[in-house]
Amino acid sequence: MMKSVTLLSSLVFMAILHMGCNQGSSSEQGQNSEGKKLVVGATMLSMQNEFIVNVADEMEKKANESNVELIVVDAERSPLKQVEQVESFIAQKVDAIILNPCEVEASSPAVTKAMAAKIPIINVNSATSAKPTAFVGSDDVESGRIAMKYIAEKLGGKGNVVMMHGLMGQAAQIQREQGAQEILKQYPNMKLLAHQTAGWDRAKGMALMENWIQSYGNQINAVFAQNDEMGMGAVKALTDAGLKNKVIVVSIDAIPDALQAVKKGTLDATVFQNAQQQGSKAIETAIRIAKGESYEKETLIPFQLVTKENLAKFLN
Amino acid sequence: MPNLCSMIPTQKPKSTYLNQVGESYKTRLRGLSTYGILLAFIAICIVLALITPRFLTISNLTIVLTQVSINALLAFGVTFVIITGGIDLSIGSMVAVTGVVAAMFAHPDTYPVGVPLLMGLLTGLLFGAFNGLVITRSKVHPFIVTLGTMTMGRGLALILSKGRPISNLSDEFNFIGGGQVLGIPMPIIILIVFFIICSVLLQKTVLGRYMYAVGGNEQAARASGISLNKVKMVVYTLCGGLAGLAGIVLTSRITTGQPNAGAGFELDAIAAAIIGGTSTSGGTGTMTGTLIGALLIGVISNGLDLLNVTSYYQQVVMGIIIIGAVVLDSWNQNRNK
Repeated sequence: MMKSVTLLSSLVFMAILHMGCNQGSSSEQGQNSEGKKLVVGATMLSMQNEFIVNVADEMEKKANESNVELIVVDAERSPLKQVEQVESFIAQKVDAIILNPCEVEASSPAVTKAMAAKIPIINVNSATSAKPTAFVGSDDVESGRIAMKYIAEKLGGKGNVVMMHGLMGQAAQIQREQGAQEILKQYPNMKLLAHQTAGWDRAKGMALMENWIQSYGNQINAVFAQNDEMGMGAVKALTDAGLKNKVIVVSIDAIPDALQAVKKGTLDATVFQNAQQQGSKAIETAIRIAKGESYEKETLIPFQLVTKENLAKFLN
Repeated sequence: MPNLCSMIPTQKPKSTYLNQVGESYKTRLRGLSTYGILLAFIAICIVLALITPRFLTISNLTIVLTQVSINALLAFGVTFVIITGGIDLSIGSMVAVTGVVAAMFAHPDTYPVGVPLLMGLLTGLLFGAFNGLVITRSKVHPFIVTLGTMTMGRGLALILSKGRPISNLSDEFNFIGGGQVLGIPMPIIILIVFFIICSVLLQKTVLGRYMYAVGGNEQAARASGISLNKVKMVVYTLCGGLAGLAGIVLTSRITTGQPNAGAGFELDAIAAAIIGGTSTSGGTGTMTGTLIGALLIGVISNGLDLLNVTSYYQQVVMGIIIIGAVVLDSWNQNRNK
């Protein structure tokens, strides 16, 4: 609450400042048909999540470049809060809304409400069951496929795999699992030894891996963790047990820690989801729609496999 | 997970005096709770050993103990608090703050390893002292105060870390949670050392007696000249310090300071204390009981992982055990009345 109050007041302050500066430059790119500065409201799944913070940072950057007023609020993983935030954006009559959904179903009313108020709404990163004006993101099923395919190729299509799930029931968990399972079906000699949730969490991933090492020992040939945090936990547990050189670990997201681990060779591969492109494309699309220009209804940003070989272009 | 409302202490019988409180806690130590839970713990271990041969191996038990250590440290702290009739919901957030602070000072070739240790511990102690200060000055129920500081702490951890994990920590620092001495993992050593310290503090010192007295009957304790505020300040500060230690161990174990670490840890720690026979109405509880409570939670989680049971069932089982422990405790209290 306080956060949004201070945010709002500082935005008002900034807006006043800008009004002073921008007089006379009517051809500024971030302006609507009446020549007023465009305002975009964005509600993000959780600003405690590194990936989402990266998306939001890039959105801010792009908004600054384009001279667009961007209001970013944190839904703190609560779909209810998210819907309320969108309602307040509608009340403020923003020019466009960017929604980074908390949940497939529960965040849908946000989309319906914005559409009813005739305010364009752009989903970024993940989907809702209600159809928004446009979608910018990546197909999570693909990331699961890429990760499991890498494992299958490394193992020569034969071996035992364990899989760490994210929080069960979340879109990313369901889709990453779906992608992985699709690939597993193509390799009859690959066996899913065990799968269990570690809640996207590094400490939990480490504990789960320790327990798996106890129950399966040398039988495990590869680990697929649905995000890097859990993957890093698995790497730590395997290293401590002296098994890392025998077990392949692949995870998703390409967070800085994971890239460092790939560099050191402890993590075999990660799958890069482009937070920067998602953020900047979302703002770009929002501006185009608000200005009545043509836009892509669906912008899919491809995932990329990161291994030691192509690591250099992902490290900055 | 335990129903938090049940943790608000209920009205205590008014007719007890300090000496009676002292008597009753001694008898209750030998009462049903501690032994009951020990028996339950042994029974579960036997069952697990029978179904999976992997359970009763030195390496697996070492892992269980290592995994239990963080929760146990937190549970020791919260046991002090619950014994005085209070509650601390902010310990999970304290783990995050102290972990982040420690990580900030733990980069290689910056400070000697003592600095991050000290900073983490100090942060925990200060946070705990702040809890104690607000609780004793405002007279607002600790449940509410620590609910507030829980949120504050989470925010603080995010501010300090800018919402991102802090990695690249020195090997010396990572030794605290990941190293071994004579083949024994450091977290287990820390666990044993602090178990002894906390037990002695609670059972053998005047301060420990004061804690029981304050939780057993505040009026009587005040009448006998105990400074309630001082005792409460001490327990919340202690609880903060132990949370700081847990934060350091966790950060070192996963080799990164995570602003969102420790979410929900308070519930596991409180559960361990309650399963171990610490009464939510204050005045009873032992560190041995709490340790067994933490071990029980750890063993169940490990055992179900070994058996590849989904964690959904794990949560249901844990809930049943917590309710069972509280029911056992209330029967025990009624018997003692």
